Amino acid sequence: MEFKLEAHRIVSISLGKIYNSRVQRGGIKLHKNLLVSLVLRSARQVYLSDPCPGLYLAGPPGTPPQLPGELVAGPPAGWGEPPPPPAPAAWPESEPEQEHRAVLDTPRAGDLEPEATLTGARNTLQSTEAAAEEAGDSAGDSAGGLDIFPEGPRAARHYCGCLPGGGEKQGVLGAPLHGDGRCAEDKPPAPPPVCPRKRSAAGMGGCGPAGCPGSTPLKKPRWDLEEQPGRMEEEEEEMETGNVANLISIFGSSFSGLLRKSPGGGPEEAEGEGSNPEASEPGQICCDKPVLRDMNPWSTAIVAF
Amino acid sequence: MEEDIDTRKINNSFLRDHSYATEADIISTVEFNHTGELLATGDKGGRVVIFQREQESKNQVHRRGEYNVYSTFQSHEPEFDYLKSLEIEEKINKIRWLPQQNAAYFLLSTNDKTVKLWKVSERDKRPEGYNLKDEEGRLRDPATITTLRVPVLRPMDLMVEATPRRVFANAHTYHINSISVNSDYETYMSADDLRINLWNFEITNQSFNIVDIKPANMEELTEVITAAEFHPHHCNTFVYSSSKGTIRLCDMRASALCDRHTKFFEEPEDPSNRSFFSEIISSISDVKFSHSGRYIMTRDYLTVKVWDLNMESRPIETYQVHDYLRSKLCSLYENDCIFDKFECVWNGSDSVIMTGSYNNFFRMFDRNTKRDVTLEASRENSKPRAILKPRKVCVGGKRRKDEISVDSLDFSKKILHTAWHPSENIIAVAATNNLYIFQDKVN
Repeated sequence: MEFKLEAHRIVSISLGKIYNSRVQRGGIKLHKNLLVSLVLRSARQVYLSDPCPGLYLAGPPGTPPQLPGELVAGPPAGWGEPPPPPAPAAWPESEPEQEHRAVLDTPRAGDLEPEATLTGARNTLQSTEAAAEEAGDSAGDSAGGLDIFPEGPRAARHYCGCLPGGGEKQGVLGAPLHGDGRCAEDKPPAPPPVCPRKRSAAGMGGCGPAGCPGSTPLKKPRWDLEEQPGRMEEEEEEMETGNVANLISIFGSSFSGLLRKSPGGGPEEAEGEGSNPEASEPGQICCDKPVLRDMNPWSTAIVAF
Repeated sequence: MEEDIDTRKINNSFLRDHSYATEADIISTVEFNHTGELLATGDKGGRVVIFQREQESKNQVHRRGEYNVYSTFQSHEPEFDYLKSLEIEEKINKIRWLPQQNAAYFLLSTNDKTVKLWKVSERDKRPEGYNLKDEEGRLRDPATITTLRVPVLRPMDLMVEATPRRVFANAHTYHINSISVNSDYETYMSADDLRINLWNFEITNQSFNIVDIKPANMEELTEVITAAEFHPHHCNTFVYSSSKGTIRLCDMRASALCDRHTKFFEEPEDPSNRSFFSEIISSISDVKFSHSGRYIMTRDYLTVKVWDLNMESRPIETYQVHDYLRSKLCSLYENDCIFDKFECVWNGSDSVIMTGSYNNFFRMFDRNTKRDVTLEASRENSKPRAILKPRKVCVGGKRRKDEISVDSLDFSKKILHTAWHPSENIIAVAATNNLYIFQDKVN
């Protein structure tokens, strides 16, 4: 449990750093943000892999409390029908078949309503996933774009069957490096189902790669999936730290409620708050529609940069 | 609404207010020239201050030459990149001297984006007796000139002037972290987070890209370049260090683009030391060739390592700079100290290495005797001709008198930049906005 709290704290600190880096003089420092995102990834992995039954609010019946792999493996459907992913090493006892179940569950998770029926971490993490999807899309054809997410969900919505493990190196900020040809199936993602949440979140985060450093006016990224692969390359050469902004927007949405509830939560999180999430205690993962509603104001705050 | 707030923040940071002015004095780089006669410092405000060593006089044999201010000039100004709405800091990241080839001195100074070549020259004579100009410089009417005279040079007060001779701009998308003058004295390289460019001193509108580690998809980025240096004797060889704790040695004869290294130096990670911050503390902040060219020294957050160029598998020596911080990494992450980039230097004979730490401490390691010492650069301890007392950090248990406990360390007082005279035991230590120069004791 201590690890989880520690990891949570580190994640929130890291987010604060990424956020602050956008206002500092001289623009975003790539090196520092890379290191911060590494820490973010490690902390998040620990956070999600540390089983802690008390932490999750009651989920739907049959949801084992301690399968973070499954919980996060519920991205909205429409990410192709990915092949069953091998269980990545990071997941303790996350058997592949449970992930299969999660994968099969995903069509349900395509829109707001099923989300609302789930409570606890599952919601937050799924909304995070969804947000990651959107942000990740804008960043190219790599799988999901954000390596901070555990390999499970990324595998679930993977375009290509590559997974970390077996010595394949991960990009910190994104896709597995396609080093060794295991990604034979480079499936392009199918168009997502109509998802109202996606649309509302389209205004958020990721001032795309072009807009990110400093205070450029936000270029609203277009969330058409089909055109993602070329997007990064199309951008002219500049400091491509758009993924940093994506990180912020993702985490902003999922953590805004968390951090506001926790004692001494960072001021930047309070900025974007909309309605009160339903968390009842500090440190607990709260979730649900209010978080989703919070996404917009939070992201607008970040995105204003 | 939030946008307004953000704009105000940006505007405020751009303007020089009082607190900002103080920050401008923070020294950001220190470098002796090749003879040790001159010492240059750069600061966050974009200024360069050059000190010159006094000639030793016969009258005062007990006084070794002291360093006095020789020249001060504004090297870089804050700039604004309108296209990207980015402010470019004027902070001087590095200064490197060129070897002296005539009466003038030349140095390279760089901020995040632009490298400049400065010529520092003395003027102690001035021509007088022009025919077409009068003493104030006004033109004379040629019709009034009845005699001709030859202008003569008359002595004047010494004036040291610095002029920018070359400006090497627009070659770096990312922040420049290193420059290094090649031993051929005709080229130099500049390195940013992802690329290294090779320049010719005479040509400012072109540079060759010799290393490019930018991935096609930025999300696959795993490491950045943190420092780079040319070999002191072999003009085709250079090294660059990465944020992953690796060093690559490249040979420019092998190919035009040196993405493939000739040698790859990496020490396997100690799994028992793994933590959230393992990656950060393994990031190399500085790499320096020894004067002999046989070794390289690297500095990461907690250690200094010496590598033999002939052995890639692990360093030949590892020195703990402040291992007592290992248990405090989380706090250091919170207050951003874990991102501090310490530099390291060799002495002239490559027998002693020096690097900085917190609380204005700096450490020296004697490679031969394996002894090390911690010294402090502070006003109280540094009366002229006072002898520096070794300091000790108490890591736990009983604290002896004169020891300082880890929790009492002042992490805002950090020594990131130090320099060692090329041949004598004179060191320059930059402690925030103060420069300390220490010399060997004279009998």
